[in-house]
Amino acid sequence: MRRKRFSRREVLAGLGAAGAAALVPGCGSGGGRSGALQVWGGVPAASGPGDVVKAFQAKFPQYAVDYTRFVNDDRGNLKLDTALQGGVDIDVYFTYSQGAMALRAGSGLAADLTDRVTNDPELKVFLDTEQPRSYIDNGKVKALATAREPFFVLFNEKLRQQAGVELPQAWTIDEFRSTAKRLTTDKTVGAYTVPDIARIALGPNYWYDGNRSNFGDPHFEQGFRVGREMIADGTAFPWTEVLARHLDAYQQNSFLTEEFHLWSTAPFNLRYLYDAKKYPHDFKVSFAPSPTVDGKDWNGGSYSNFIMINPKSPKFEAAWAFVKFWLTEGATPMLKGGKLPALGGVTDDQVITGMLGKEPDKYFDMDSFRRVVLEADPKLATDTRLTGFPEITLAVKQQRDLCWLGEKDPGVAIREVRRLADAAIARNERRP
Amino acid sequence: MATAAVATASRVRTEKAPGIKPRGWIGFLFIAPNLLGVIAFTLIPLISVVVLAFTDWNLVSGLGGITFNGIDNFVAIARDPGFWHAIGLTLVYVVVSVPLTVVLGLALGIALNRPLPGRAVLRAIFFLPYIVNVVAIGMTWLMLMNPKAGLVNQVLDAFGIQPGWFASSHWALPALIVMAIWGGVGYCSLIYLSALQDAPRQLYEAADIDGASAWAKFRVITWPSLLPTTIFLLVTLIIGASQGFGLIALITAGGPGDSTTTISYYMYQTGFQFYRFGYASAIGLVTFVGVLVLTLLTWRAQRGRALNE
Repeated sequence: MRRKRFSRREVLAGLGAAGAAALVPGCGSGGGRSGALQVWGGVPAASGPGDVVKAFQAKFPQYAVDYTRFVNDDRGNLKLDTALQGGVDIDVYFTYSQGAMALRAGSGLAADLTDRVTNDPELKVFLDTEQPRSYIDNGKVKALATAREPFFVLFNEKLRQQAGVELPQAWTIDEFRSTAKRLTTDKTVGAYTVPDIARIALGPNYWYDGNRSNFGDPHFEQGFRVGREMIADGTAFPWTEVLARHLDAYQQNSFLTEEFHLWSTAPFNLRYLYDAKKYPHDFKVSFAPSPTVDGKDWNGGSYSNFIMINPKSPKFEAAWAFVKFWLTEGATPMLKGGKLPALGGVTDDQVITGMLGKEPDKYFDMDSFRRVVLEADPKLATDTRLTGFPEITLAVKQQRDLCWLGEKDPGVAIREVRRLADAAIARNERRP
Repeated sequence: MATAAVATASRVRTEKAPGIKPRGWIGFLFIAPNLLGVIAFTLIPLISVVVLAFTDWNLVSGLGGITFNGIDNFVAIARDPGFWHAIGLTLVYVVVSVPLTVVLGLALGIALNRPLPGRAVLRAIFFLPYIVNVVAIGMTWLMLMNPKAGLVNQVLDAFGIQPGWFASSHWALPALIVMAIWGGVGYCSLIYLSALQDAPRQLYEAADIDGASAWAKFRVITWPSLLPTTIFLLVTLIIGASQGFGLIALITAGGPGDSTTTISYYMYQTGFQFYRFGYASAIGLVTFVGVLVLTLLTWRAQRGRALNE
């Protein structure tokens, strides 16, 4: 039998076909579009989104939804960005960091939702610019916050009662500091760290002043200085330990093991406090509001978890139906991950059972929870000016670390932040 | 008719290039998967980096958002204190870690070349750091070098030294260098070991007859025979150290401050945190040229010495 010989042309054609077969499924706009609405978010489906999707499909049986989770870190966000840019089938997606927000909204990756919001009385609150719940780019609404994440200060009730400290219902940053001092023992540091003093005093967009940075405001240096002094006198957690143990991502472990007492945090960390089997501890937690600074009372938390529609989506109506459902009536399941709905729309009982587990009275002081979380209406500071945001975020972190390690004077550190931030703002505003 | 024409053309081509038989092209099918991989994941990104180095691009804006800006990125690099700081740190990292790794690797290689009891086990143990996952290495060293509770500081405490290691801007880079040396010595020793076993026995025997000292034998016989290996190790280690990224990303994220922001990590920050892909590509290109020059200088210097000896 004669063996077939391949010509050069045949071989090249074969290579080309093999290459095309390998590459085509992975690229091209519209490649692999499915009938179901594609939603990408950073919260695991089991922590709420799965139930939101189920409820939506029950109400709108004409729509099917696939929820895909991306990890909300640098790599996960890059994956989302390349997928959006590469034409992957995504109709609705979430943005969690303000740095990514500016980039996506400004680069044509977010549909204009202005008309939908303006014409819907239920959603008009998203046009508020005093305490913004949306991201508005050049007058167009591009993203809507789904969650409200106010900060509060948690107390370890057992240790608080042992120390004879009264649970504050309103307090200043100086009182926070003196309370941390009274709560400091041989085994327990008074506080994890100091709340963001500049944020409390200055509110949203506090990094910017006109076309320059705002780090000349004395509250920034005050924040660095108070943090450093508290670490030095042993009333705040040593920053060497925070860095060496990567504690910033695992604060809850040290709170549960009573390594520190006062914990300024937000509802998303409550999930560690009602499961004593998984996160063993034998104390109740009580709530105090964030301290005030010079009579100013902005909360360190914000409206967050922004939902956006891909402008390339061919299923805009279905996508909008899903977005509106999530915002107005569907977000209750997200309480289990500590996400209070941005528009409210949930009862106190739903918040309690959703966010505090099956035995809320066993793990939480319910009076203070009601007072601080359910009844209070803190002023949330959501940044909407985002020029050079990632660069400034890094500069603040780097100089804060050096300052709180005791290696750099607070004034010198803040001046360096100011120099870097001014440069980042100037550079980004020069860009087309 | 057409078939006949193709067959004739094929014959003509074969006659023009007698060294290549038509069925030799089948071989390309076998290497096609690898070839496609190299084209897709090495060649195209490489060319893209060169092109992007002359642009202002943030990835998210898509291909339509690419703006060519000539040599602006390179001018900005020349004036960027962050870039020069990162270059300085990278040079310190390379200049300290590479020679120490090679010297200690050589010493260990010579030691393991002697008839020690359990030699095979020792070789495997010293080589282990080279094959262990970088995350496991990072986490282990993070615990060992904890300033308060780590084993390293508990030992150093006896000498009155308490470095802050990864929680100190003065000690973080030395800590990374220690880790790099620890990770590289076993690999170097194994390469040296194989070179030592190829060294000409008869020269050692002749030197023994002449009554040469151990140092004289090392200087005149061992070292010259190890020079090609040393050049290879220096070149690969310099390239590897210049690209050092994994442990920095895992343990220090460039900090505290910017004390461990080497050029690879600076490039990563610029590209993947600030989304300045054009500028990051220009940094990559400049770094590539720098590492190439450094490698060539090393190679030429060592090669010149090898030829002289």
